[in-house]
Amino acid sequence: MKWRRGGFGAALCVLVALAACTNDPYPEADTGKKLLYLPFDEPPKTLDPQVAYSTIDHSVIGNVYDTLLEYHYLKRPYTLIPGLATTVPTPQPLADGRVSYRFQLREDLLFQDDPAFGLDGPGIRTRQVLAKDVAFSLARIADPEVNSPVFETLAKIDGLRDFSERLKKLRAEDPAFAQRRIDEQYALAGPISGVRVLGPLELEIVLSESYPQILYWFAMPFTTPVPWEGVATYDGRDGRDLFSEHPTGTGPWKLVVYDKRLRIALRRNPNWYGIRHPEWRAPGATYPRAGESSDAEAGRLVPSTVGRALPFLEGIEFRREKESIPSFAKFLQGYYDASGIIKESFDRVIRNGELSPEMAARGVSLSKSVLPATYYLGFNMDDPVVGREAGEQSRKLREAMSLAIDSKEYTRLFTNGRGIPAESPIPPGIFGYEADYRNPYREVDLERARALLSEAGYPGGIDPKTGAPLKLSFDSPDTSAAALLQFQFFVDAWRKIGLDVSIAATSYNQFQDKIRRGAYQIFQWGWVADYPDPENFLFLLWTPMGRTHGGGPNTANFSDPSYDELFLEMKARGNDERRLELIRKMRGILEEERPWIELFHPESYLLAQGWLHNEKPPGLSIPTAKYLDIDTAQRAELRSAWNQPIRWPAYAAAGLGLLVIVPGIFTYLRERQ
Amino acid sequence: MWAYVVRRLAYSLVTVLGVLFLLFLLFFLVTNPDDIARKAVGEKAPPQALEQWKKNHGYDKPRFWNPEHPTDSMLVDHFRRMLTFDFGNSDADDTPIWRRLRSGAGPSLSLSLPLFTLGLLLTISLGLLVAFFRETYIDRMGVILCVLAMSISTVLYIIGGQYLIARVLRWFPISGFDPSPSVIARFLAVPVLVGLLSNVGDSVRFYRAVFVEESSRDYVRTARAKGCGEARILIHHVLRNSLVPILTQVVVAIPLLVMGSILLESFFGIPGLGSITVDAINANDFATLRTMVYLGSLLFILGQILTDVSYTLVDPRVRLE
Repeated sequence: MKWRRGGFGAALCVLVALAACTNDPYPEADTGKKLLYLPFDEPPKTLDPQVAYSTIDHSVIGNVYDTLLEYHYLKRPYTLIPGLATTVPTPQPLADGRVSYRFQLREDLLFQDDPAFGLDGPGIRTRQVLAKDVAFSLARIADPEVNSPVFETLAKIDGLRDFSERLKKLRAEDPAFAQRRIDEQYALAGPISGVRVLGPLELEIVLSESYPQILYWFAMPFTTPVPWEGVATYDGRDGRDLFSEHPTGTGPWKLVVYDKRLRIALRRNPNWYGIRHPEWRAPGATYPRAGESSDAEAGRLVPSTVGRALPFLEGIEFRREKESIPSFAKFLQGYYDASGIIKESFDRVIRNGELSPEMAARGVSLSKSVLPATYYLGFNMDDPVVGREAGEQSRKLREAMSLAIDSKEYTRLFTNGRGIPAESPIPPGIFGYEADYRNPYREVDLERARALLSEAGYPGGIDPKTGAPLKLSFDSPDTSAAALLQFQFFVDAWRKIGLDVSIAATSYNQFQDKIRRGAYQIFQWGWVADYPDPENFLFLLWTPMGRTHGGGPNTANFSDPSYDELFLEMKARGNDERRLELIRKMRGILEEERPWIELFHPESYLLAQGWLHNEKPPGLSIPTAKYLDIDTAQRAELRSAWNQPIRWPAYAAAGLGLLVIVPGIFTYLRERQ
Repeated sequence: MWAYVVRRLAYSLVTVLGVLFLLFLLFFLVTNPDDIARKAVGEKAPPQALEQWKKNHGYDKPRFWNPEHPTDSMLVDHFRRMLTFDFGNSDADDTPIWRRLRSGAGPSLSLSLPLFTLGLLLTISLGLLVAFFRETYIDRMGVILCVLAMSISTVLYIIGGQYLIARVLRWFPISGFDPSPSVIARFLAVPVLVGLLSNVGDSVRFYRAVFVEESSRDYVRTARAKGCGEARILIHHVLRNSLVPILTQVVVAIPLLVMGSILLESFFGIPGLGSITVDAINANDFATLRTMVYLGSLLFILGQILTDVSYTLVDPRVRLE
């Protein structure tokens, strides 16, 4: 009897559990809240704004720290607008070729509430953001112990390098100095000569040379003002957080949960100037009234939204998804508001380049945007066969090889068509990109390629020294099967014109070693913009950036005096006709010299649920959550409709189990008796 | 017995030193400090930032031997840190490794404890059931199902389980974790079920073989001849006398429960120690990876010693000397 009662009890428990089951991963208390749910696969490395350089890092700190300048959400090409600063400064030329920029901070900006401000006095939880906080951030960039990856770039600020040296010296000479509070250390090391605090809210930055691109760095978290109190308090000692995990920012959101293995949660920061002073109608705190022509069509400029104070959401929830399949499945269930497309489901989601009827029926929308990035094949211009040393011979060889590569076919095969063929280093959305420009060496023309090879002294691709096809090497740090397939595509294309290119795929270390020794010929690389300026792409072919000799990103070791001269003039100019003319000339040099075979500019496909409004893929790593809105009622309704549990299989399985086992038991008992 | 335990611990020290050395050798065979720095600082960081990072983390020292300062090399640091349990900070994000271990142990145990307990109960019960019905169609069907279950890859169970239970039937979330007592079961249901299914075949077959062999002993035949019921014979006599082989399998796994399951935690998004290990591998985080391997080897050794001790508890004939 006891076992019968036990069995009945167990069955009842299972039935109750089944009745209560749900696949909703979120707490019931959050139902109906305007929370944006997004997945992330890699955890942030750091939330220290002077150090963070990866996309996931910026997706958190970009929302927590506001910057002096920002990008207009909708306009393309990208346009800077004031953020914490009142205006976008213009360069003021000074003596000796130096240039200064003056920033005026808005009044009444506050940091988010934080116990760290108790250092200012008991009970104090916040304070005003001042110009000296920006100076403090720039000092941190120069601090060797912070090890900011942008120190070398921002060393154009007068005195930044000297400050770094002074700080290092003081710490080395006096261990007691290194134990002092960080703001005291910086004060004792002396100010940075090119960072002048002119008043509580006024700051002047002096550069040692003209560098118009400096303004873009003030739209990146590296230069955001940080409070010395936060840095001093969150030092990781005595159980305190590290500053790299405890941001104390000025942005529309504040970090409330930081478990980077699982969940990162942001909620509205009530101290944000956009919430405290909507009457300012500040550009960074008001939904834009204008954008591109496609924005109105896409529903991003509806009258009920334009001109409204930001943000619309209550918070952002990032949830860790290490595997792409479960992550995409949860998007289809409605538990994520936006998602990329995994390759396993690409054909189900996209038909002929557009959203499939199945997805469209669910109200999902597809946003396509070409990223400010360029992928290319490069030649090592220091190599004796493919490089400049062989003069006209190698130039024609490079031109011929360029004519053999079909970028469109490459993107069709390897990126599901997500990319546009690249004609020059500059991608769409960046000044200097011209949609109707056609690079004469980026169209497939095998006949012309063979003719060029003959002119180069390699008729039919044959090397006259050996009598066999010219042997070249394609060097790569990627040994995966997927990458080798892609490289084979190039090798096969060159085989059609008679060349014998072998793939030399090695580990990343060995590849880096080859680069250092200059022992490579052809390679594949890519570059994603740090900021939307042609200088950020064209510098990749500038002589001082050479890889083998200078360790810079000019992996092709391209060096052309005319190009360099044009580059120096181009980089110092604003976006005007003369600049475009210079870019065209530089493009002309690259056309003929062919240090690169431009492949494609990648295209991002972003899926958004029907209840998510105003989203526009930014391209650059910039925060956009404050512009988004969610129809919570629609979301709740559709989630419920898409996720009703199906219980009958459990009951059927239980019944089947009983049908199978019970006769067996009775049979056995009968036989035993 | 204590002399035995102390002697085992002393032998184990040699094992542990060997594990540490091999780990160091193998890790730096496939990667180098530049890779670790690049992963930590970012691909776009200039060479100076990489060098500074290496200096800050002790990766600028000679790898094996420093002729100027013999005790100041990466290998010596590696041994010193591990043997003094000074795990330091993660190479990936500079967070203290002890703190990561503390935060990861809970989620790992929340998955592995029910998986272990339910798994043990289920597999022993099924093993007894199949042994009870030996030589019948239930026994034969049971063995076939066990072999089938063993032949299927764990990853397939995971993907299939997520698809069927979470996507098609929508009973539980596909992945995720929430430690709140009121909802934790919802997130653990599918990984526990999948874990049970993937292990049941192997264990049931093993236990069935042990029970059937024990059932053929003389004392069992005597008990049967005296009129003892088959169920009572299995539970009171056969199971008890089968404990030695069972303990061999089971006790060694107990200390390792805290290390979690790499596959289950990765696919189901459970932030346990298994997940931390995978993250460390992906991030070239040598500091965390060596800590996980070191602790895993210590716990394995502890499990072996506990297994030997447990024999003395279940079999009075066994003496540890």
